[in-house]
Amino acid sequence: MYGLESLWFNIKDGYVDAVVRGHRSGLLTSPDYNNLCQCETLEDIKLNLTATDYGPYLANEPSPLHTTTIVDRCTEKLVDDWNKMRTNADEPLGQFLDYCTYGHMIDNVVLIVTGTLHERDVHELLDKCHPLGMFDSIATLAVASNMRELYRLVLVDTPLAPYFSESLSAEDLDEMNIEIMRNTLYKAYLDDFAAFCNKLGGTTAEVMRSLLSFEADRRALNITLNSIGTELTRDDRRKLYSNFGLLYPHGHHELAGAEDFDQIRNAMEKCPPYQALFNKLGYGESQMLDKVLYEEEVRRLTDTFEQQFHYGVFYSYMRLREQEIRNLMWISECVAQDQKTRIMDGIVFLF
Amino acid sequence: MSQNRYVVVPTVTVLAVMKARLVGAVKGHALLKKKADALTVRFRQILKKIVDTKQSMGKTMRESAFALTEAKYAAGEFRHTVFDSVETAQVRVVAQTDNVAGVKIPKFEHIMTGGEGKMGLTGLGKGGQQVQQCRKAFLKSVELLVDLASLQTAFLTLDEAIKTTNRRVNALDNVVRPRLENTISYIKGELDELEREEFFRLKKVQAKKKRDGAIQDAERHAKGVSTTENGAPADMSGTPEDSDIVF
Amino acid sequence: MAAVKSGAPAEGSLLAIIGDEDTVTGFLLAGVGNVDLRKKTNFLIVNEKTAVKKIEDTFKEYTNRDDIAIVLINQFIADMIRHLIANYAKPVPAILEIPSKEHPYDPSKDSILTRVKIMFGGD
Repeated sequence: MYGLESLWFNIKDGYVDAVVRGHRSGLLTSPDYNNLCQCETLEDIKLNLTATDYGPYLANEPSPLHTTTIVDRCTEKLVDDWNKMRTNADEPLGQFLDYCTYGHMIDNVVLIVTGTLHERDVHELLDKCHPLGMFDSIATLAVASNMRELYRLVLVDTPLAPYFSESLSAEDLDEMNIEIMRNTLYKAYLDDFAAFCNKLGGTTAEVMRSLLSFEADRRALNITLNSIGTELTRDDRRKLYSNFGLLYPHGHHELAGAEDFDQIRNAMEKCPPYQALFNKLGYGESQMLDKVLYEEEVRRLTDTFEQQFHYGVFYSYMRLREQEIRNLMWISECVAQDQKTRIMDGIVFLF
Repeated sequence: MSQNRYVVVPTVTVLAVMKARLVGAVKGHALLKKKADALTVRFRQILKKIVDTKQSMGKTMRESAFALTEAKYAAGEFRHTVFDSVETAQVRVVAQTDNVAGVKIPKFEHIMTGGEGKMGLTGLGKGGQQVQQCRKAFLKSVELLVDLASLQTAFLTLDEAIKTTNRRVNALDNVVRPRLENTISYIKGELDELEREEFFRLKKVQAKKKRDGAIQDAERHAKGVSTTENGAPADMSGTPEDSDIVF
Repeated sequence: MAAVKSGAPAEGSLLAIIGDEDTVTGFLLAGVGNVDLRKKTNFLIVNEKTAVKKIEDTFKEYTNRDDIAIVLINQFIADMIRHLIANYAKPVPAILEIPSKEHPYDPSKDSILTRVKIMFGGD
C-alpha cells in the first residue's frame, strides 16, 4: 500500500496538497514573532502583519483597531484558505477536510442550542459562531424550542447526527450540563474521526493516529484536571475519555481515579512520550502544562509536513493556523493591555 | 439692627427665656461643631482611602482582564457559554449601617451564596483551569469594588452630612446667636427705658406734691390768724406729714 | 439614607454591570450575574452597535431598581453618559467606574475622584 500511494496520490490530490504546502510557508516564523513582540501599539502590529499573508485582510481596517478585529480578520484568512481547498478537494479528501471542521461544528451547535434555550437573538448567535463550523441549516437550529424537537428537526440532517444519537438519549438532551454534552459529542467525534482515518489507511492513518491520539490524551488529561473538585463523578469522567490514544484503556482507569495534580502526573508518566513532557515541569507547576502541551502539539503538527502523500498536512495546517491566531491574539492582548513582560509566556513558536 | 431680633414683649420673663435660649444655642453650637469635626476627621480618612483604593483598583482590574485573556487563550471563545450559564447571582452584597457621630453610613459587604453553579465545568475540555483562575481574579476585583463602593457611599453620605452640619453650625453661630443677643440687649434697653420713665414719673409726682404742699403752706400763712383760731383742726388734717410718708 | 435596602430581598442585593463583553464575562464568571423569572438581567453588554439611548435607559433602570446596591460601569461607557452620572447624587446604589481592558484607568475622569480632588484642593 505504501508504495502505491505515491503513484496515485498526485493524480487526485496533488494540487490541493501543493496549495496547502504553499500556505505552510506563509505561517509566521520566529523572526516575525520577534518583530511583533517589539510592537508598542496595535497599529504597529498591523503594520508588521501587512508584510505577511494577513496583509490584505488587515489593510483596510480603520483605526482604532481592536484585538478582536485582528483575530477575526486572521480567522477569515484561514477560512478563505480552507474553503478554497475544500472546493478543490476530491473525495475522500473532501470528507477528511469536513471531518477536520466538525470540532468547530460541535461548538457552534452547542452555542446555538444554549442560546436558543435562553431565548437569544439568532443573528447575534450566528455572529458568534466559528466560521469553520458553519453548515447550511445552522440558522434553523433556532426554530426548535426544546432539545428533542431540535434533534428531530434539525440535527438529523447534519453530519453530527450520529454523535447525538449514539451518545445522548432524549432525557440527556433536556437535563445534561452543556459542558458535559459538548465533551460527550467531542469524544464521539474523535472516535469517529480516528476510525475514518484508519479506514483511509496508509501514511494518512499513521500520521493522523499520532495526532489524534495526542489530542485524545490531552483532552483526557484536561478533563481530569478540570473536573477535580467538581460534581463530576469517576464514571462521568470515564465516559468523556476517547476510546483510543496512548492512555487507553489503562491510563484512563488511573486518570478517572486521580484526585490531584500529582496523581494525574503519575498516571501520565507511565507513557514514555508524556513522561518527557512532564519532566519539563517542576512539581506542582500545573500552570505551565498548557504551554508544554501546546508546544508538543505544534511539534507533532510540523512533523507531518516532513511526510509525503498523506492528508494529515491539512489537519496540521488548520491547527497550526489556529495556534498562530492564538499567538497573535496573545501578542495583541499583551500590547493592548500593556503587559509586555508576559508576552513570551503565551507564544508558541511554530518554526 | 432693630430688625435682627425676635419680636417679643420686653418683659423680665421674656428676658429670662431669651437668656436660656442663648445658653442653649451656644451649647448646641459647641456640640455641632464637635460633630462636624468628628465627621470631617472620618471624611478625611475616607478620602485618602478612596484615592488609594481607586488607584489599586486600576491594577487589580488590569490583572483580572489579563486573566481573562489567559483563559481565552487556553479555552478559546467561551464568553457565550458564560452568558448562557447565568442563573442567579452567587455573589451578592449586604448593606449594613455604620454610625459615625449620629450619621448612618451604609456599608457594603459581599456574601457568597451557593456553589459554583453551572460555571464550574466551563472549559472542561480545555482551559478550565485558566477559566477558574480568571474567575478567582474577578472575584478579587469584586471584593475590592465592593469595598470601594462602601467607601464611595460613605463619602457621599458624609459629604452631605458634613454640609448640613456645617450649615447648622454656621446658622447657630451667625444667625441665631446674634439674633438672641440682639433680642436680649433690646429687652434690656426697653426695661431700662421703662425704669427711667417710672423714675421720672415718680419725680414728677414728688415735684407736684411738693408744689401742692408749698401752696398749702402759703395759704396757711396767709390765714395765719384764722389758723390760730381754727388752725388746730387744720393742723389736725396733717397733710404735709402725709407727703412725707410717701417719700 | 432612608432608602437603603427598602424592599430588597433578604438574601442581599445585587451588583449590576454595564460594560464591554470582556468585562461583563469576567464578572459573570465570578458569579455576579442574575436572571430573574421575567428574564430580566442585571448586566448589559455594550459593543459598538449599542445605542447611547439604550445605555442611558439601562443606567436609569439599574439606579432605580431597589434590589441593586452597586452599579459597575466601564469608564469609557460612563463617558458616553457622563451627564447622567455627574447629576447622580443618591448614595445607593453606588456607581463605580471601572477600567476596561482597552481603556486603562484614568482617575481624572472619574466623577467621584474629581470631587475628592476638589475637596483636597479646596478645603
